[in-house]
Amino acid sequence: MSICPSFGLITTKVPIPLFSSKTQFPKSLISSSPNLFFSKPLTIQRIHIDPSYSSSSPSSSAPTSSSSLTPQPIEELPPKLQEIIKLFQAVPDSRAKYEQLLFYGKNLTPLDNKFKITENKVKGCVSQVWVRAYLDSDKNVYFEADSDSVLTKGLAALLVQGLSGRPVSEILRVSPDFVTLLGLQQSLTPSRNNGFLNMLKMMQKKALELFVESEKSSEAGGSDAEKVENPVGSLSSDLNASSSDGILNSGLSSEVGASDLGLNSSAPSLGGRGERIREILDRELKPVELKIEDISYQHAGHAGVRGSDGETHFNIKVVSEEFEGKSLVKRHRSIYSLLQEELQNGLHALSIEAKTPSEVNAR
Amino acid sequence: MNSIQGAVLKLPYYSPFKFNRTKPTSLTIRIGGSGSGKGRGNRAIRTTTTASASASLKQQEFASDVPSSSLSLGHSTRSDFPILHQEVNGLKLVYLDNAATSQKPTAVMKALHNYYETYNSNVHRGIHFLSAKATDEYELARKRVAGFINASSSREIVFTRNATEAINLVAYSWGLANLKAEDEVLLTVAEHHSAIVPWQLVAEKTGATLRFVSLNEAEVPDLMNLRETLSRKTKLVVTHHVSNVLACILPIKEIIHWAHNVGAKVLVDACQSVPHMPVDVQNLDADFLVASSHKMCGPTGIGILCGKIDLLSAMPPFLGGGEMIADVFLDHSTYAEPPSRFEAGTPAIGEAIGLGAAVDYLSGIGMENIHNYEVELATYLYESLCSIPGIRIYGPVPSESVSRAALCSFNVEGIHPTDIAAILDQQHGVAIRSGHHCAQPLHRYLGVGASARASLYFYNTKEDVDHLIDALKDTVSFFTSFK
Repeated sequence: MSICPSFGLITTKVPIPLFSSKTQFPKSLISSSPNLFFSKPLTIQRIHIDPSYSSSSPSSSAPTSSSSLTPQPIEELPPKLQEIIKLFQAVPDSRAKYEQLLFYGKNLTPLDNKFKITENKVKGCVSQVWVRAYLDSDKNVYFEADSDSVLTKGLAALLVQGLSGRPVSEILRVSPDFVTLLGLQQSLTPSRNNGFLNMLKMMQKKALELFVESEKSSEAGGSDAEKVENPVGSLSSDLNASSSDGILNSGLSSEVGASDLGLNSSAPSLGGRGERIREILDRELKPVELKIEDISYQHAGHAGVRGSDGETHFNIKVVSEEFEGKSLVKRHRSIYSLLQEELQNGLHALSIEAKTPSEVNAR
Repeated sequence: MNSIQGAVLKLPYYSPFKFNRTKPTSLTIRIGGSGSGKGRGNRAIRTTTTASASASLKQQEFASDVPSSSLSLGHSTRSDFPILHQEVNGLKLVYLDNAATSQKPTAVMKALHNYYETYNSNVHRGIHFLSAKATDEYELARKRVAGFINASSSREIVFTRNATEAINLVAYSWGLANLKAEDEVLLTVAEHHSAIVPWQLVAEKTGATLRFVSLNEAEVPDLMNLRETLSRKTKLVVTHHVSNVLACILPIKEIIHWAHNVGAKVLVDACQSVPHMPVDVQNLDADFLVASSHKMCGPTGIGILCGKIDLLSAMPPFLGGGEMIADVFLDHSTYAEPPSRFEAGTPAIGEAIGLGAAVDYLSGIGMENIHNYEVELATYLYESLCSIPGIRIYGPVPSESVSRAALCSFNVEGIHPTDIAAILDQQHGVAIRSGHHCAQPLHRYLGVGASARASLYFYNTKEDVDHLIDALKDTVSFFTSFK
C-alpha cells in the first residue's frame, strides 16, 4: 500500500489501519502537493453539545433555576426591563451586545462608598458587587448598585434600571429567565459563582425586607399580626412563582416571626392625612392609646382611591376616657364628626375600634 | 512487518500510524534494505514516536531526530485527546486551564470503559474469575503508581478520593495522634486551601500552632525565613512542590533535609509537579506526598497518598469500615496493614485502573520529555504575556537559574480578571480561570482580590499561546476602549 503516489520514493506495507474512521487525514498528504509539512494538522469536528446546557433556549434552562416550566411572559416584566430586552434583541452580534452591556454599566449612578457594606454585598461573587435598595413614598423600590467588574456592573445596571421605581410585588414576580432573551450567554444555573442570579435574588430579598419593614412601622401597634401577614403573605406567594429556592421565604418568616406586633406605639410613618387624623384625635379625645394604620393599598384599584393620592382608608384604634358612658354608635359618630373635613377631602373610609381604658384593662 | 523501498528524509509528525499506546512498540524505518523486523538493523532511522517503550526512548533521540518547530510534543499528542477538537461558543476551543484539571487521552478512557465492560467486579473480596482479574488490575495500577514516583514499595501507595482527602487523611490520622499543644506546623502563605484547612482543623483540636513562611521579593516562598522558622517545635512542614499560582518550583530535597535536621516530617503537595516532571519520593526522602489523578490525565475520583511505610504502619485508621479491618467483633476491631488500613469500603476501582493507564501513557511519552517541553512552553508563555500592556504576572521571573511551571497567574491593570476570562471565553473560545485559585491567603498577601490564570500541559502548543495572546490583546483593548 502506498501512502502518496507523489512522493514516489516511499511505499510501505503497513498492516496498521491507515485510514481508520477516527483519523482525520489531512488532504495535503494525499494530494499531489510536494509539501511534507502541513499547515493544518488538526481538523475541527463539531461535537454535539447537549442544547439544554446552552443558555440561549429559555424553555430548557437549568432545572433548578425556576419553578415555572414555561418562561415568564415578557409582558409581566417591569416596562423598563421589557424595553431593555427589546433593545438587546435588536443588537445582532454578541460583541456589540457586550458593548451595550458595558455602556449600561458605565452610565450606572455610582454607589456612595458608605453603602458598600457587608449587608449590601452580593455573596459568592468572584468580583465585588454591592446592591442597595430603598423605598420612595409610594412604596416603590429603587435600587443602586456597583461592582469592580465592568461586565457584572453592566448586568447590575440592567437590573437597576429595569426594576427601579416599581412596586414590590412586581419586582418579586420577576423570574431570572428573561436574561436568556438578551443573548448574553448568561447561565441560569444557581451557583455561588452566578453573579447575575445572586444579584437578582438579593434585590428581590431587599425589596421584600423593605416592604415588611414599612408595613410594620406603618401600623400603630396593636395585635395586628394578620394585617401585616396578609399583604406579606400574598407577596411571598408572588415570590414563590418567581424563585424556587427558599431563601426569601425563610427570610420572610423570620421577619414576620420577629416582628413586634404588640402594643408598641412607636411613631408610625404616616402621610399627611394620617398625621392630621392623629393630631385631631390626640387633641380632642386625649387618648390613652391611639393607633392609626393606613390601609389604602388594600383598596387600590377601586373607585375610592382613583383620583386621590392615597391615604383613603384607615384602621383606627382609640382608647380614651371620653368614651366613658357612650354607646358604640355614639363613639363612632364622635370620631367621624371630628374628621369631617378629611372625609370631605378624599378620606373614604375608617375602620374604628373605640374603647375606654377600663374596658381595655378588664380584658 | 514494515518494508520500505527508498529513502525518507523526514516524515511529518502528524503520523498516519496510530499507535497502540498500551503496548510499547517502536516503529523503525530502514533505509535501503528489505527485510522486516522491528527495531534492529543498520542505518535505521527511528522515528521519534510517542509509542516507544519509555526505556528505549531517550532524550537525545528526541532532540536530535526532529527540529522542535515542526514536531512538538503538543502537536504529536493532540490527536490522543478528542475533547480538544471542538468548538465552544462557535469558536475553536483553546483549553488553558490544566492546573484545574487535565484532559484524558483515549487510552485512559478506553481502560475505564474496558474495566466496566469486561471485568468489573469488587476487589479483594471474591474468588471468582472476574473479581480476581479486577483485583489484579487494581493492584497493578497501584504498582504502576509506585513505580511512577519511585516509592520503595507499592504498600506505600494509598488510593484516596483526591489529593485533598489524602491530606485530610494525614491530618486526622497522623496529625491527631502526633501533634500536641506547643507543637508547630510550618506552611507557606502560598499553599492551596486543601493544604491549609485540614491543619487548621487539627490545630484547633490538638492545640498545635500553624506558622506560615512568607514570600521574598522574587514572589517565591522565602527559604531563609523557612530555615529560621524551623525549630525543635516544628513537627511537620507542609509545602507545595510547584505553586498553582506563582509557578515557582521549590527545592524540596533541601527543604526536607532541613526539616529532618530538626526532627520534623514533611508533607509535599505534589499536585502540580507529579503530572509535569519526574518526581522521585525516595530521592527527595519525602515522608508524605500527595498527588491528584485528574491533574495527570487520569480520571477524577482517585488520588494518591504516598507515605513511608513505617509512618503509615504506626498511624491509626482514618475512615472505618470494610477492607481496612482484620477482625471485627461487636465491641472492637483489629485493623489491616497499610495501605488497606486507609482504604475503607469499595474503592474507585475503575478509576484506579484508569489512573494506571494514565501513568502508562505518560511514561510512554517520558516525564523528562514532558518536562523539557513544558520548560520551553513556560518561557514562551511568560515572555509572550509580557507583551500585553499593563500586565502583572505573579511569581518569579524565569531565568537561567530560576525555572517556572508552564502557568501564569496575572492581572491587567484596570480590568477585572473575571471580565478578562469572560470575554476570552465568549469572544475567543479561550478557556482560562479567574478567581483566587483556592489560594485566598496568597492573594491577600499579594494585595489582590483575584487573578486570571492560564495553565498549560504537554498537549498545548505554542500556537495555543499565540492564540491566547491575540485574544488577550483584543480583550484588553475592548475594555480599555470603554474607559
